[in-house]
Amino acid sequence: MADVSLSAISKSFGATQAVRGMDLSIADGEFVVLLGPTGAGKTTTLRLIAGLEKPDSGRIAINGEDVTTLDPASRDVAFVFQQYSLYPHLSVYDNLAFPLKSPARRLTPNEIDARVREVAKLVRIDHKLQNRSTKLSGGEMQRVAIGRALVRQPSIYLMDEPLSSLDAKLRADLRLELKRIQNDIGATMLYVTHDQIEAMTMADRIGILAEGRLVQVGTPREIYETPVDIHVANRLGQPRINILPPGLLPCPSIPAGTAQIGARTEHLAISVPANGETANARIDWIEHLGDHNYLHLVCGDRKLVSLVEPSLGLNSGMAVRVELADPLFFAADGARIATNATGSTGRNA
Amino acid sequence: MVNPLARRVRGLSDRAIAWLFISPTIVLLLAINIFPLIWTIQLSFTNYRANRPNAEVENVGFRNYERLLTDEDVWIAMQTTAEFVFWTILLQTVIGFVLAWLIDRKFRGHAFWTTVILIPMMLSPAVVGNFWRFLYQPQIGLFNYIVSFFTGIEPSSFEMLGSVTLAPWAIVIVDTWMWTPYVMLICLAGLRSIPDYIYEAAEVDRASPWRQFWSITVPMCLPFIMLAVLFRGIENFKMFDMVNLLTGGGPGSITEVASITLKREAFESWRTGPSSAFAIVLFVAVFGLANIYVKALNRVKQR
Repeated sequence: MADVSLSAISKSFGATQAVRGMDLSIADGEFVVLLGPTGAGKTTTLRLIAGLEKPDSGRIAINGEDVTTLDPASRDVAFVFQQYSLYPHLSVYDNLAFPLKSPARRLTPNEIDARVREVAKLVRIDHKLQNRSTKLSGGEMQRVAIGRALVRQPSIYLMDEPLSSLDAKLRADLRLELKRIQNDIGATMLYVTHDQIEAMTMADRIGILAEGRLVQVGTPREIYETPVDIHVANRLGQPRINILPPGLLPCPSIPAGTAQIGARTEHLAISVPANGETANARIDWIEHLGDHNYLHLVCGDRKLVSLVEPSLGLNSGMAVRVELADPLFFAADGARIATNATGSTGRNA
Repeated sequence: MVNPLARRVRGLSDRAIAWLFISPTIVLLLAINIFPLIWTIQLSFTNYRANRPNAEVENVGFRNYERLLTDEDVWIAMQTTAEFVFWTILLQTVIGFVLAWLIDRKFRGHAFWTTVILIPMMLSPAVVGNFWRFLYQPQIGLFNYIVSFFTGIEPSSFEMLGSVTLAPWAIVIVDTWMWTPYVMLICLAGLRSIPDYIYEAAEVDRASPWRQFWSITVPMCLPFIMLAVLFRGIENFKMFDMVNLLTGGGPGSITEVASITLKREAFESWRTGPSSAFAIVLFVAVFGLANIYVKALNRVKQR
């Protein structure tokens, strides 16, 4: 395992600037997730680290050694592709053994066999070792693909949305599995996804990408609680953060320069108006999800969505009182304005 | 809405329409394939001679087959055919695959070169045969001139088509020249069918270009290569026109492949009965070999 650092990496394809001046360092044994929408440059970043693309400018170092101009084979990285890139003419066993048979490794057949069986067990495919790789289900194929990365002990594992083509249940299982495996072997991992749940649950640190730029890097908690701007705030949180004009809802203190207020569930205090209080919102409808409900509120001409516990006894059509409690404040340019309550780490997280 | 088409065509059922559509093909197939085949089988048990249609025809049982399989000339012709098939396929597959691999590098102008390489395949075998007869001309032929240019051998000192040692190779060269593009085309389809990400995965897995070639390119291309070998094998087993034009089986009978022997037997000696038996033997041989081969091909595809 090793640390990886990117400094001022840029890459464009024709007129499209895929990655713009990216700086990122990944510590030894760290699990970093790059989160961003399609076209944000996530995959390109991985391919640059793997050496499948060469950067236009900037420097890539693995374990302190400059690898910017090296080809993929000399970088010793493992890559899990989004489409299961198994070798279709080989069995599961041979797919897993393929990276080990590289003459650069000088492993004996016995060592290879032991390693393949060990990893097959780890990704729970050991019962299908002799199957042809094309005769597997999607989940099995992706587990083989992950296994093929795991048989090696590369400096870094690069994973490009490995779970995106799987169904929800399998995705949840494999998510836990991957995190467990990463913990067990202490692997350095860079993982790309557009799924915020994967990012929140697996990452030691999350990097938010937008239009080829790394907007913010931090622990999932930092990113969630102190996003640098509206864009980052929008990427995390279920339901999505409510963006409101100041003055729409009562708020104890609003810092100067606030143009918009971001309010998530935990920033909204919803109550049935008591004596002397006035209602300022109406419940439009309630989505029942079982363990919790989505509350859709209408407040003036704005719609708000919040999570509520079913036990609260709210019904659609009810008038309620909504107050803001320590919400996020954003200036006119979208940047978050730091307050004491949320810490002052805003810009330089 | 059950049979919308049938309703429009005067109450015919779908099945009747299906028969209507395929009947011309079936009639044609029966008339020019099945019927002659059955007739040939029947003739192969007789001493019928096509140049004496009025002579009495005797049923000779299996005697034609007996004679055929013990005739040394027939075995020599079969051996000549086998050697011809072996060398043409070997050369065409190797050269065709290498050309396809080079074209697949997508160098500048690869589309232009693909077209140029494909030209021989588009010519008629009769044209090719005639034109190589000129190329092989000892005095004025370009082939002899080029060989002499590179080796210094006097151009008129050897005769490609007239020499016992060179004539078989003269035919192999022409067939390879003409049909390598065909093999190349099939191999190219195979190479193009391998997705880029497989190579990327292999590269990240630290497979050298040499290993990528042998453990990805070749095995994934193998079904295509085998298909090309099948097509070329069947074609060359019954090769007639080109050999007939170039050497007519000569000198002596050194390039006499089975189809030439068959033609001599049938249309020079007019021994229609025995030659029918020969045709059937050839047919069964090709059919049997092709079937075994297709089984092997399917196994490779199943992997």
